Amino acid sequence: MNQKFIASLIVVLVTFSMLLAACQPAPAAAPEEPVQPAAEEITLRWRTRPDNQAEIDVYSSVSAELDGAMEGVTLVYEPGGSETSSYQDVLKTEIGAGTAPDVFWIPGTDIADFATRGLIMDLKSMADKTDGFKTTDFYSGPMYHMTFNPTTGKTGEALWGLPRDVSTFVLYLNLDLIAEAGADDPRELAKAGKWDWDAFLDVSKKVSELGSDVYGYGANAWWGPYGVWINSAGGGFFNADRTACALDTPEAIEGLTFERKLYVEEKVAVPYGEDSEPPFLAGKVGMFQNGRWATPGTRANANFTWDVVELPMGPEGMGNWLFWGAYVVNAKTQHPEEAWKLVQMLTTAETQGKISALGTNIPSRVSQAALDSFLTFTPPDNNQAFLNGIAEASNPTAEGPLWAGSWPNYDSIMGPMISKVLNGEMTIDEYKQSICVEANKAFTQ
Amino acid sequence: MHKDAESTNITRIETFINIVTGWHFFLSFAGLILLFFIIFKQLFSNLPSWLMFIGTISIIFLVGTSFFAGIQLRKRTRVGRTISLVINYLGFIFSFIALLQVLGVFLGVDALAKTFGSGIGWLAGVLAGYLIHAAGDQFHFRIQIEELFRKIGKYIALVFFTIFLFRVGLIKALIYLGKQIIIPTNLMIAFLVILFGIAIWLMWREETGIYLHRNNAQTEALEGYLFLSPNLLGFLIFFAFPLVFSFYISLTDWDAFGNSNFIGLANYLTIFRLNLKPLASATQNFIQVMDGSIYSELLRFNLFGKYFVLGAADARFWISLRNTLVFCIVTVPLSAIPALLLSNILNSKIPGMKIFRAIYFLPSIAAVVGISLIWQWLYNATIGYINYFITLGLQFINSIFATSYPIALIRWLSESRTALLAIIIVSAWQTMGFNTVLFMAGLQNIPKELYEAATVDGAGRWAKFWKITLPLLAPTTFFVITTTTIQALQVFEQVFIMTNPPGSPGTSTLTIVLYLYQNGFQRFQQGYGAAIAWVLFIVIFAVTLLQFRSQRRTGAYDV
Amino acid sequence: MNSFRLSKILVNTITYIILTAFALVMLFPFLYMFATSLKTPNDTFTYPPRFFPREQSTIELDGYDEPLPLYFVLANGEKKEYALVQSGIPAGVYADPNDLETAFAVPLAFVKPAIGGGEVTLPDGTVQELMDVPVEGKIMQLVQVNRTALGRFVDPEDTTKEIYQVVRTSEPATRITAHPENYIHVLKMENMERSLTNTILVTIFVVVGQMVTSVMGGYAFARLRFPGRDKLFLFYLGTIMIPFVMLIIPLYQLMVLFGWTDKLASLIFPWIFTAYGTFLMRQFFITVPKDIEEAALMDGASRFEILYRIFLPAAAPALATLATFTFLYAWNSFFWPLVIINTGNYENHVLTLTLNMLRGRASDSANLILAGAAISILPPFILFILGQRFFIESAMSSGVKG
Repeated sequence: MNQKFIASLIVVLVTFSMLLAACQPAPAAAPEEPVQPAAEEITLRWRTRPDNQAEIDVYSSVSAELDGAMEGVTLVYEPGGSETSSYQDVLKTEIGAGTAPDVFWIPGTDIADFATRGLIMDLKSMADKTDGFKTTDFYSGPMYHMTFNPTTGKTGEALWGLPRDVSTFVLYLNLDLIAEAGADDPRELAKAGKWDWDAFLDVSKKVSELGSDVYGYGANAWWGPYGVWINSAGGGFFNADRTACALDTPEAIEGLTFERKLYVEEKVAVPYGEDSEPPFLAGKVGMFQNGRWATPGTRANANFTWDVVELPMGPEGMGNWLFWGAYVVNAKTQHPEEAWKLVQMLTTAETQGKISALGTNIPSRVSQAALDSFLTFTPPDNNQAFLNGIAEASNPTAEGPLWAGSWPNYDSIMGPMISKVLNGEMTIDEYKQSICVEANKAFTQ
Repeated sequence: MHKDAESTNITRIETFINIVTGWHFFLSFAGLILLFFIIFKQLFSNLPSWLMFIGTISIIFLVGTSFFAGIQLRKRTRVGRTISLVINYLGFIFSFIALLQVLGVFLGVDALAKTFGSGIGWLAGVLAGYLIHAAGDQFHFRIQIEELFRKIGKYIALVFFTIFLFRVGLIKALIYLGKQIIIPTNLMIAFLVILFGIAIWLMWREETGIYLHRNNAQTEALEGYLFLSPNLLGFLIFFAFPLVFSFYISLTDWDAFGNSNFIGLANYLTIFRLNLKPLASATQNFIQVMDGSIYSELLRFNLFGKYFVLGAADARFWISLRNTLVFCIVTVPLSAIPALLLSNILNSKIPGMKIFRAIYFLPSIAAVVGISLIWQWLYNATIGYINYFITLGLQFINSIFATSYPIALIRWLSESRTALLAIIIVSAWQTMGFNTVLFMAGLQNIPKELYEAATVDGAGRWAKFWKITLPLLAPTTFFVITTTTIQALQVFEQVFIMTNPPGSPGTSTLTIVLYLYQNGFQRFQQGYGAAIAWVLFIVIFAVTLLQFRSQRRTGAYDV
Repeated sequence: MNSFRLSKILVNTITYIILTAFALVMLFPFLYMFATSLKTPNDTFTYPPRFFPREQSTIELDGYDEPLPLYFVLANGEKKEYALVQSGIPAGVYADPNDLETAFAVPLAFVKPAIGGGEVTLPDGTVQELMDVPVEGKIMQLVQVNRTALGRFVDPEDTTKEIYQVVRTSEPATRITAHPENYIHVLKMENMERSLTNTILVTIFVVVGQMVTSVMGGYAFARLRFPGRDKLFLFYLGTIMIPFVMLIIPLYQLMVLFGWTDKLASLIFPWIFTAYGTFLMRQFFITVPKDIEEAALMDGASRFEILYRIFLPAAAPALATLATFTFLYAWNSFFWPLVIINTGNYENHVLTLTLNMLRGRASDSANLILAGAAISILPPFILFILGQRFFIESAMSSGVKG
């Protein structure tokens, strides 16, 4: 009994003392408590979605540097979730619960959702007072949406934040496989201006003939990859003023039909929905379509000769995306002025250069110096392929939010149906009949 | 002299009771004033309306009962003491919790977690002390040595524990606590705690109790509530209240950002809004018969040669319901039948039985998240083991029977046809071992004599299994099936981890709970999410009831 | 008699085969997890999959800066280890114009136009020149039908012996290795060290807290008479069946109100008051004989003393059951932390959440993800191995009592 006694005593003591010890100052004290009355130093929390540990380290060091540069402000960087752990949704819940950071990054597609829900701050009035600030320093595609005012329906009448970086698709090439298959080098074809859908299909077929577990082409299952084929056939997700679905236009159908051919008829692609990255890194995929963010992983894991090439030309051009995301300011922040300053500092050429040196993204500022230095971040040797993707000449489509409806809803209708098409579970005709009836439900009536 | 002491004693008790009586009248008066302010929106007007509602009701309750307690105490009745104790106890507990909350004690767990790591090693010292203490048991024959061990053990444990406390920041915590408590509002709450405490003490005293005709039943009832109170209060706050609250939320369009309007049953109406229309031909486009801006096609079917199409305003809900039911119907037998088989084999007392039992049990103690991550890689269509094993198997068959089955490449998680099956396999795999153990427990309760008698009668293995084992195992079977079903109807984690985006490909693995999560925490229609939760509850309730019924009918429940 | 024994042996063998087969099915995923968690990232992508962690064998050869990878090649009919010295050598695929099926891959550099050759029109219409192609030491006159790339392999013992063949399909020579540093690496990622501490802390709190409230509540239900007791107990019993998902949205709102979102408090305090635990303890306490208790009451012991000195020591098995289930529940829970602890607050993650993050952050490194999974799965396993009987008997009793 005595033995039981001391055991229980310990248990009780542990609980009690833990409760007691628990009282020491919590780093993020309860939000209703005033944060250090009359403090000169204010704390700003900021967040951006990194894709790997190396990026977390760089953002942390950027945060430390900016902390030193900003008077009277303490910066706290927090990484936030990854793509699979629904970064945006979690952010929204945090804003709802009042625990969100002051400044955060969100993908371009979500700007409208955040802005129309009143979760982020319109920075226009502050920006107008800021010396030397020009929205034209950034790519115009993203800035169209960043300055869109949903109440007036016009662009240039608001400012929701500034783009962190841009990115675009290329094809990551397994040169060993392509050489073994005896196919033409896509880089040479691109230089010669012969890199089109036919040439692409030819290379894919040759590579996939090498074996039943070898594929010519691979891409992951989200809107980016299929969007490219639709764009390059001259189609798009929405009509011109982004107020209705355009997924059933002849152009969109043409693009999708070609992509379906890769998956269903010719079977040259990694089955739709399977993650293409593992087989690519295992040396079983000839051409892997992905953005700049796949570069660090390929550098680290590929033990074959690899490089990148721009996407093939479709009937209406390359049709690439201009992916982007932006730093925005929490509508509930206590320190809007400081937050706006932080947004600007996070998007200076210097900061962007540091981050793009990692190899994950391309600076969002339009400047030759930035582009020139980007070219030096090898491998891949052919960095020019990325720049070709976002060059004015190839007319990239800027990733964009849906001001007239809900992008998350639109995506959740479009994605499953297109995946059925590419899996061969739905014919193009069936798709054509129903896609826009369903997808138009995502627009506010 | 003696009489004198008694009378002073009685006056003291009288004074104490009067103090408490006054306290109760004061409480109800203060409550009234508070109520007045609340009703005229002078105070707390920033709080959500439901909270105001609850607050108002509890204040009215407090005013009423406190007043009643005051009157009863004036009459010096037993009931007065009971009610006074209950009110003051509740007041004490709630103000104490409020104090802890404003002092940041609850949130302090975070701070503790930060330093806990650095102190955790010292806890090992506590464990060592305990072991030394326990080692004393070995020396029962020499009481002094035993005592010595116990003492040393105790001191070692205490010393290490103190070190641990300091390592995790006891001093800092105390300083912080001291700083916090002198903030005026906090001090006021602390004062309130003390007042309630004093009132309890005054009423609980032996003398007051006797004076107010305390009896054993009253004491026992009070003690009963006292013992139950931590559990009951927590249970009411964290379980019963949310349950009721959930129903209220389901009647609103709550959106997680604090906006909510009462919309009645609209959420439920959306869920159940269905439309059945005949079709001219099997392939007729459904927009021609239904308003495409409201309904989506759910399914089309052929009934007596005529084609019909069923549309739903929220087709995804019905799809998720179908997926969940399919999942449940397949998973339950898949995890129960092998378990029944294995438990019968294991029950035959063969050597090594315990090792096998332990191995089968293993999956059920691992986190579903971890399990799902493992299987996700096993299922990988291009480099995963499962396809590799199938390929090996097919090659083997091909080489033996000279057949030519193609090499399999099953896209487990990326094809609508197989994705749900893949999830089912993982879930059945995980629950099978636990069910095996449950069946073994059931088997052990079957009297051996029955089998012996059956053997004498010349019954074979099968006959014994069908005639004895299965009927007598019915209660266990019922338990296994019910628990597995309830679990299966709530499947979420496997789908969330293994499919990307969750519920894909298409909507083939969208389950109800996942759909609830998407609505509540991705699209921020928490009202709608709560309505889905209630529908799910009704489904679970119905299924369980159905099982109870069939169980009754077979009469196995009486065993 | 003999045939009886034979049939018994047969039955036993079949029994063991079935049991072992199931055991393998149950164990394989865990074995796979441990094996993969010790691999290099490259090694996780090989197909056919290799169970044990393996690494490419290399050899240092004079004249080459880097160690060269070794492959098995067929040299003169026997399998030998050769080193790959160069890959991606442009080569042609050559075949006899009359027998296009049998083709040979030979580096372009070794092929010369055949003297007095000429051109041949192939069935697909292309015109190809006849070439002198060295095949297995002989010169053959063939036409090129395709292109490919080859690797040059040399015999490490005699670097003049060389063989050209396709690298991808060559069988690499490997040796078994282990990379336990994956575990250290993954603990440094996503703040996993901290989330391990958090999980331990939360689990301790929940287990201890739930035991305290359940014991007290169970004792009150079992032994003390108070008005409304039976109705309350029925209410408790009725709620055991209510699924947790019912509460997730209202409880979330409650936590927002308390300011507990993102805080460990939200993982602890709502979970220490359960109907199930109270029910379990009540069922146990009811079986404790009344006479000792009554004697103690006579002696003037308080209820707390009775609970502490008489009931608690007797309740060890029931407490163990409760602790086991609560431990597993607290350690493995995912849905609630997912909802209430947001990704931004790295400080307060628990293991399951970290695993969910890791899945995205290290999606291309199965070795790291599975090392993370192992870290979350190991502690329950170790406890299970230590107290195997406990776990299983707890499970058994849950079925019989329920």
